[in-house]
Amino acid sequence: MQKIVEVKNIEKIYGKAGEKQYKALSDVNFEVEPGEFVGIMGASGSGKTTLLNILSTLDTPTSGQVHIGGQDITKLNTNEMADFRANKIGFIFQDFNLLENLTAYENIALPLALQNTNAKKIDPAVNSIAEKLGLTDILNHYPTELSGGQKQRVAAARALVHDPSIIFGDEPTGALDSKSARALLDTMSKINHEDNVSILLVTHDPFSASYCDRIIFIKDGEIGQELKKADHSRGEFYQEILDSLGTFAE
Amino acid sequence: MLNKLALSGIKHRLRDYSVLFSGLIIASAIFYMFMSLATNSAFLKSNSPAQATSFIYGFGVVLLAIITIVYISYANGFLLSMRQKEYGMFMMLGAKSSKISKMIFVETFTIGAIATVLGSVIGIIATGFVSRLVIDALDMQVKHFNSFYLPALLSTFAFFIVIFIISALKNSISIRRTKVLTLLHKDSQPARIKKNPILKAFQVILGIIFLAIGYATMILMGSNAALIYLGVPVALFTIVIGTYFMINAVITAVISALKKNKKFSQKGLNNFTLSQLSFRISDYTKILSMVAMMFALALGAITVGLGFQNQISTVVEGQNYYDVTVNNINDAQQKRIDKLDTKKVTTYSYKASKGTIYYQASEFKKTPFKYQKFNMKSMISKTTSTTDPSNADVSFELLNANLPRYRTSRVAVVDDAKFNSIDSKKSSLTLVRTKSFNKNLAAIKKINQAEQKRYPELKDAGLSKYDSYVMVNGIFSGLEFMGLFLGIAFLAMLASCLMFKILSGASSDVKRYNMLYKIGTRAKVLRSTINKEIAVLFAVPAGLGIVHVLIGLQMFSKILYKPYMNIEIPFGIFIVLYLGYYFITRYLYKKIVLK
Ligand SMILES: Nc1ncnc2c1ncn2[C@@H]1O[C@H](COP(=O)(O)OP(=O)(O)O)[C@@H](O)[C@H]1O
Ligand SMILES: [Mg+2]
Repeated sequence: MQKIVEVKNIEKIYGKAGEKQYKALSDVNFEVEPGEFVGIMGASGSGKTTLLNILSTLDTPTSGQVHIGGQDITKLNTNEMADFRANKIGFIFQDFNLLENLTAYENIALPLALQNTNAKKIDPAVNSIAEKLGLTDILNHYPTELSGGQKQRVAAARALVHDPSIIFGDEPTGALDSKSARALLDTMSKINHEDNVSILLVTHDPFSASYCDRIIFIKDGEIGQELKKADHSRGEFYQEILDSLGTFAE
Repeated sequence: MLNKLALSGIKHRLRDYSVLFSGLIIASAIFYMFMSLATNSAFLKSNSPAQATSFIYGFGVVLLAIITIVYISYANGFLLSMRQKEYGMFMMLGAKSSKISKMIFVETFTIGAIATVLGSVIGIIATGFVSRLVIDALDMQVKHFNSFYLPALLSTFAFFIVIFIISALKNSISIRRTKVLTLLHKDSQPARIKKNPILKAFQVILGIIFLAIGYATMILMGSNAALIYLGVPVALFTIVIGTYFMINAVITAVISALKKNKKFSQKGLNNFTLSQLSFRISDYTKILSMVAMMFALALGAITVGLGFQNQISTVVEGQNYYDVTVNNINDAQQKRIDKLDTKKVTTYSYKASKGTIYYQASEFKKTPFKYQKFNMKSMISKTTSTTDPSNADVSFELLNANLPRYRTSRVAVVDDAKFNSIDSKKSSLTLVRTKSFNKNLAAIKKINQAEQKRYPELKDAGLSKYDSYVMVNGIFSGLEFMGLFLGIAFLAMLASCLMFKILSGASSDVKRYNMLYKIGTRAKVLRSTINKEIAVLFAVPAGLGIVHVLIGLQMFSKILYKPYMNIEIPFGIFIVLYLGYYFITRYLYKKIVLK
């Protein structure tokens, strides 16, 4: 079966040649299977956001290849990158990134409107995803009228509404209280199981990571060990993560 | 330490500051330019036939002052919006609010003072440049005009210093009063469209009523000039309020209607654009109505100014049919006439004897005499031709074309035999009509001068077409100069006002556009969204302003012969300039928003 994400020998160096340079990623390799819920875990500054920006075409690697859905995204021009983001991927950011001048409904509908989806098809799509995420009652609210957890669920709905091949989350629970964080993670894992959407979650938080099927550790820009949940319960997996964090941090 | 931090903050936002700074410089430059006219009473007296001029100028100063105050309060708001987050941060970290408000005061005042000085210098240079340009382009005669005029400079300084002290106080007080948290989250607090349909409908009706009153007043003033002192303030007041309500209610209504139309709103970024517009609407209503008014004033001033230019040829044309008259033509004059682009050259022979000037009937039969017949009722002259110039009206015209010494004579038209029998020297009168008086102006001037050398009596009593041109041009040039100058000043002010307002919103839009980019909007789509949004903001006041002007020109229906004649010229100039501002704003906005 074709991999949904294939990362080969990625290297990212910040700073121009001749100036002060910083190697944020070196020789990163990994894969994500379709329908998999993968976590990338590392301390702050380890290169998680850098990696995610590259995977989502917001940034380009200094060298190496990234295939998403079989397509080499490092070879796209800027328009193709924009279309790729609009069609193939969904984003959830730590700081929500909702447009505060649009209602929840309009925020969720935006990716569809951007693809010039027929107006008649937009309404059912938005309503069905809103129902799944429990947002039906707040669709006419503006982001400033929502709690952090609600905002993040709106962002998740926006990431899902156009049926992307994969969802990228950059510490989506980072700005949430533990209850809202749990609710969001539950929702994500539900979507992952029921709709078979692949998810790549970047986090430094072991609790969030325990929701994943598999965890790839990153430290100082390099991939370290890998941890599989297999048939462990989430509690066991959480303990396992904590243990390996202890050894990995050495 | 804090001062150093604040300075580094300015360095970081150098581009935003340069927008602010150039805006303030433009404001003070324009204010100076206007004051250099308005405070120069020698100039006003010597260049205006109308008593109303000082009044008009006084009114202009008041208007400009109001506009400048509003403008600076926008600029000031822009300054505050750039700084408050940073100052909020300082305060959160423990800086005392008294210290912060002092810093804000100093910053606001320093920026204002530097801008005023630079602006005045630019104003002096620009005044010289613009006046030269206008004077040369229109062959105008403007006396007592100097680009450097001390009273103007002093009043500009005084005005701006007062305004900036007030602004600085306002800023420092507002920072002191605002909660730290509000400062920190200032730009994420949107204002919703207030949905009150009854109030909106009421506003639309009120707007229409006010506009109707204003328009009616302007039309009335046109037919009765005595109403002008009461009419101008009434019209101004009602139209300002009417414009405000129209823009506020109508734009909101249009946006809501478009938003409801899902087919339109759910297409691409349309919904985003509509939301952008609707969220700022309460903010923008004021500036858009102000811009619409200024647009109307500026356009009106230019139209009327150029109207006076048309007036010159109309008046001159209405006085003399023949462009050139030459007595007893000689070789030198003949040569000069040959160089003209003539339509018809007519020569009549005459003999003067005992208070009577005799012409030959046969010559008039061959080429009838043409003159401009003036109709007192319609105030319009009509070209008329006659073969018998002996009746009183026509002989007056014929005598005027002749040498001044014959002006009290009687005209007799006789047959050839009678003419030959008169014992007097035979003279000739050559009358030339060119294809265009204006195009042949330089050559006509030479002929006129030569003729005056040949007949010195023409110097004081000359009634040639060129002489009346010089006279009329002198009268109207002053009015014209004012109109153009006022128009250009208002235009520069209005467009930079609008530009400012739009650009000051740009910094809070950066995040939004960045997010749209992240979720996969093509750069081209983003650019076209921005273009659309800014185009709407520019088009709304322009549309209303044009209607204001078209109706407002009725005020001049008595003063100007045809107020709508050649209206496409000022409109053309205006639209080109205005489009220029639109493109600059678009460009700067994109530079800020899309990195
Ligand atoms: N634009 C940039 N220029 C230079 N260095 C950067 C840039 N972005 C990130 N870095 C550096 O790269 C490293 C990894 O950053 P990041 O990917 O944001 O880490 P994480 O998301 O894991 O906290 C950090 O040391 C950071 O300082
Ligand atoms: Mg990060």
